[in-house]
Amino acid sequence: MNKFAKIPLMMLGGGASVFAVLFTIYFFNLDMKFMSYCVEPILLKIYDMRKPNFYV
Amino acid sequence: MRDLKHLGYFEDLLQTANNELIAKAKEEGKVCAAFLCENIPEPLLNLGNAFGIRLFAPNTGSMDIATYYMTSFLCETSRALLERAIEGGYNFADCLITPDGCTMMNRCGENMELLHTMDGGDSKFFYEYMEIPLKADDNGVELMKVQCQNHILTPLAEKYGIDTSDAAIRAAVKEHNEICEIIQAIGRFRKDDKPRVTAYEFHVLTLATYVAPKYLIVDKLRETLEEIKTRTPDDKSYRARLALVGSEIDDSGVIKLIEECGAYVCVDRYCFGSFPGRVPIELNDEEDAFTQVCRHYVYMGQCPRTMNMEKVYGRKAYVNDLCKEYRADGVIYQQVKFCDPWAYERLLGSTMLRDDYGYPVLSIDRPYNISASVGQMRTRVQAFIESIEIKNLQGGAKK
Amino acid sequence: MKTAEIVYNTKKKKGDKQYGVLFNNGKVRKRREWRGIKDTLYDFSRWLYLWSIMIGVTLSRGGMKGMIRYRWMANYLAVPHAIDKFTIGMRDETLRITHTAMDFVVKDVALCIKDTLRGDRRTGNDVEFSNKCVLSDENAMTVFMMGFPQIKAILREIPTMFSANIMTQYSSTYYLDIAQQFGIPGDVCPMPEAEAGASICDDFAVLGKCAVQVNTTCDGSLMGNGIIAKRLEREYGIPTFQLAAPMRHENPDVLDYAAEDMKKCIAWVEEKMGVKWDWDTYFECIKRVNQTTRDRWEWLEVNATQYPQFFGAVFSLYNDTNYMGNCGRSKDFPPINDKIMKLVRQGYKNKTMMAPEYRHRCIVWGVQPQYCIDQLYWMVNCWGVVPLTDMLSMVVEKEFCEENKPENYEQAYKDMAYLNMNMIMRNKTHGGYECLVDELWEFVERLNADMVMMWEHMSCKALNGLHGQFEEQARERGIHLVWVCHDLCDPRVFTRQAIRDQFSEYMRTVMREEPLDPTLEFMPDENAW
Repeated sequence: MNKFAKIPLMMLGGGASVFAVLFTIYFFNLDMKFMSYCVEPILLKIYDMRKPNFYV
Repeated sequence: MRDLKHLGYFEDLLQTANNELIAKAKEEGKVCAAFLCENIPEPLLNLGNAFGIRLFAPNTGSMDIATYYMTSFLCETSRALLERAIEGGYNFADCLITPDGCTMMNRCGENMELLHTMDGGDSKFFYEYMEIPLKADDNGVELMKVQCQNHILTPLAEKYGIDTSDAAIRAAVKEHNEICEIIQAIGRFRKDDKPRVTAYEFHVLTLATYVAPKYLIVDKLRETLEEIKTRTPDDKSYRARLALVGSEIDDSGVIKLIEECGAYVCVDRYCFGSFPGRVPIELNDEEDAFTQVCRHYVYMGQCPRTMNMEKVYGRKAYVNDLCKEYRADGVIYQQVKFCDPWAYERLLGSTMLRDDYGYPVLSIDRPYNISASVGQMRTRVQAFIESIEIKNLQGGAKK
Repeated sequence: MKTAEIVYNTKKKKGDKQYGVLFNNGKVRKRREWRGIKDTLYDFSRWLYLWSIMIGVTLSRGGMKGMIRYRWMANYLAVPHAIDKFTIGMRDETLRITHTAMDFVVKDVALCIKDTLRGDRRTGNDVEFSNKCVLSDENAMTVFMMGFPQIKAILREIPTMFSANIMTQYSSTYYLDIAQQFGIPGDVCPMPEAEAGASICDDFAVLGKCAVQVNTTCDGSLMGNGIIAKRLEREYGIPTFQLAAPMRHENPDVLDYAAEDMKKCIAWVEEKMGVKWDWDTYFECIKRVNQTTRDRWEWLEVNATQYPQFFGAVFSLYNDTNYMGNCGRSKDFPPINDKIMKLVRQGYKNKTMMAPEYRHRCIVWGVQPQYCIDQLYWMVNCWGVVPLTDMLSMVVEKEFCEENKPENYEQAYKDMAYLNMNMIMRNKTHGGYECLVDELWEFVERLNADMVMMWEHMSCKALNGLHGQFEEQARERGIHLVWVCHDLCDPRVFTRQAIRDQFSEYMRTVMREEPLDPTLEFMPDENAW
């Protein structure tokens, strides 16, 4: 198979892999699990470190 | 001090909403226009054959039925009034003017209507709801005029044939002003180091002017003023002079409690008190009296719902001015429980009076009937007075 | 008592049939719902779209900084989680309707966050942009901005408070605690209280050349404005205008007052921003508002049949965005409306249903809990009770003057004033008992409902003030009235399960029914976002 003929196949394969990875993240809710267990606690720590500037 | 000659009489008037003077006025064939909010121009209810009565609910105990209709989260004043209406306590009224000012008082009026608490099948009886201007400006004056015309003057004239002419309004304002001047004159004695009127007495006298026909109490008020002029004050000094600011106080027990703690309420700025409710209305001959009355209520009013920022800041400056004039050492910001407008105003007011004007401030909520929470309230007031004393001892003074 | 005819779904539902099993007491679901290949792939494509929006906001000017500076920003990590709540059990047209509407709501809020952070003095600090912004009250219909195409209305409370609580249930508690620490009692409505708390602890973005506040929705909101305005004016030098919206909005004798204040407000914005009001733009916008009204009523007509299509929390949120946030100012809305209309008609034709059966037709009245807004979908899936419409979606019915002629300008001011007074929710909770109680019974008739679910927002004084009237009148009319109490945005007072329990209890004890999906009756989402 010549070099150019492989490109669509490679694109298809690459696309399928990306799809598989993204769909796995989507279906098993990995995005939300990462955000809730890794990102949010760090952000909350940062917010708690800031001394509020109270004003009424 | 020697007891005021008529104090017992005025106290008796406050024991029931349907007092003897209302009964007397009704016997004379007069029309009772009941109302629920200080923003409603009172003189317009005292025209010709009509007399205005502010509804209140003295000696309130259980509010169970009103709580069923309005839940326990509505302000206790609105529930106490509805309960009293359901009990038949306001059957003397010939109409009810309710503001759609604060929502809870509006709902109170609406429940009174839907439950037919006061009309008793009388076809002439009417319930009216008034829009209260949200800003103190000329547009607000125009709205007040439209509202008073549509919801007070026209129904009073159509249903009961009340004279709503300019002459009648001027006569009503004259009567209103006389009451105001007497109350103000008595109130000015509170400026003295050794005042010749107690805050409790002053509260009783002031409240009586809202809940009884004016023409029937004016003589005794005049006599009382003369009596106070020559009264010998007690030779005692108070631990602190306090300004009392906030929502309506229908229970004189609140003032009594503060006095029992050794403080003197030297000036008041609450709904149905003497400021601004008993400030005379100045009329000129150039403009119609109706417009002038409406303007007075729009600009003079200190309702926390008036939302333009000049007024938001102005209300605190007004309290400061009163505190200066009456030489208050501290301020109590109070609200009746579950009152939304005063809940927020209490925060902003107490903060500004403390931070911008340098007064010690106590910020509290209280039940409609103070007997439900005397112990708590006494503790807080005592602690506040002590904190003022300690501050004075340590040399801290207001800015 | 009134009863509704049971409608059975003749189509076989593909994919998952039990939804409670997706929760395991964690912050998020175990996995996403399987809806059959076609619908799952569609849902997947919308998920990708959501992430593209989220990434776009994070990478925009001030986005990353904003994420670190503002506590409320963390709530937006949960956007996909929230969307999953709104699509529970959906297939075919209903899934597409919900995504079409919700994608747009998300985009609108994302744009609001992007603009807010771009102009914010602490993060994006784009001064030139900030000078073109007017801070607008979230509780306003933004009508006063309809003729100002050159400048932007920034509703900074929306991302800080309103939509944040839809994303995660505890979003407001920090601000509520601050407000109460400073002395506001715990019995006031938590929404304006939380806003006051955010202002007190300086967690609002600061931008704009001026600000407009309104007294809608309620006394709490009006009073909270004073606290916010004081900080804006005195600390940040941003002048504020208070726009008056009379309470008795159905009384013709308040309209002149409201219109006059509207004029003043517009003149004030012109002066502060140095721009001129453009009538051409205004009339373009009002045409879109009218179209929105026509479309909404057509959707409601479909909901009056046995096969309602567009309903639930998303119906409410879409109307919120359409009327309040945009008020005809966005050109993007009509095509979205058209798309939804097409799907609604198609779904009706195909007799598409959300659940295996519809047992009861319900009007949802009162003020919904932000953190449990998806309960409307839970009702369908768990009990087969269809929420035909909710109080917040019953905004204006009338259409406004569209013809751009100088002699119509006075009428236009009145129309703007009317719209402003009739802000979503407030047009029912205020204006007299006729608006809140009498109109409910009218809608029960119009939509052929046999049941009313009353969201009893315990600190909403306007609503609670007529509690007894609702109860007595429902009894007289033979309508099932289910009280469901909550505290709007504070889940510490009523948890989600406590809210659901109130409904389930009625269904079991009064209606003597069994759930369609028993796994939903006790759902372990106590700790969920």
